[in-house]
Amino acid sequence: MESTEIKHGILVTLQDLHPSSPLFQQGSSLRVTGNLKEYSMGTSTAVIVDGSYKLKIDAQHLRDLNFQVGSTYQFIGELLIQPDNEAVLQARVGRNVDAIDLNLYYKSLQLLRQFQAEHMIDGTT
Amino acid sequence: MDPMKGSHVKLLAFDFLSLTQNASSSSSSSSSSASGAVFLYKKCRPVSRAETLGVVVSREFKANKFLKFLIDDGTGCVPCILWLNHLNSPYFSRRNPFNVRVLAEKANDHASQIQIGVLARIRGRVTAYRGTLQITVTDVLLERDPNAEILHWLDCIRLARNCYDRSINLPNLQKQQRRF
Repeated sequence: MESTEIKHGILVTLQDLHPSSPLFQQGSSLRVTGNLKEYSMGTSTAVIVDGSYKLKIDAQHLRDLNFQVGSTYQFIGELLIQPDNEAVLQARVGRNVDAIDLNLYYKSLQLLRQFQAEHMIDGTT
Repeated sequence: MDPMKGSHVKLLAFDFLSLTQNASSSSSSSSSSASGAVFLYKKCRPVSRAETLGVVVSREFKANKFLKFLIDDGTGCVPCILWLNHLNSPYFSRRNPFNVRVLAEKANDHASQIQIGVLARIRGRVTAYRGTLQITVTDVLLERDPNAEILHWLDCIRLARNCYDRSINLPNLQKQQRRF
């Protein structure tokens, strides 16, 4: 295990992943959450959606995960920006999170970001 | 004694990874693994045990030796080590063999639960190995409910703001304890 080389997946919403976002970068390690809209066994690719936002997932390393359209999934992996500027998350970890309260998740995520920003400032002063 | 020293301090990974080693405990431990070391939260409050919760994102298993794994809570990755050497380590040879077997079975059971992608709550001692902070695991609990992770974030934030970030006046605390 090369623990020092594995980066944590920054918690993002699909809405955060627009081309002008600082997270929209080749190789960014991210954790995304969304509803499974499509899954192709042949290409091991999935598409998750959150409202009107969507993201393609390369799921070739997730052989043990059972994909069910309509279920909610969370993926951790690295972002690959293709030449046409389409983003694909190369997932290394995936899990079904059907029981998640997405409203609570998004509200808590804002609190977490705020707390982290405050603590980072405290740590540098 | 500061009550933080004796409890499992719930920390987000970025806070866990910013713990600093107490100068007095680091000088007394020459080995890379500081078993009895005390670490400091924000260079002030002592932490010897910690609790983390997140997704298992890597796993390195060495039979009858150890399981090393990483817990990703979205703010960082916490390295964890679960020892599996109870039956062949001299450390345990002087202890009651029945108790050692129970410990070994418990550790093996924990190791089988830790798989990539599961949400796990980990408790243990804060240690350092080659300058990297880690948790030496004593307890593993798999969380089936994904909301447990959200509640853990909120717990960590609340505890940091209302407890860990506050300096403690020990004489006043001792007076309060005597009253109870």
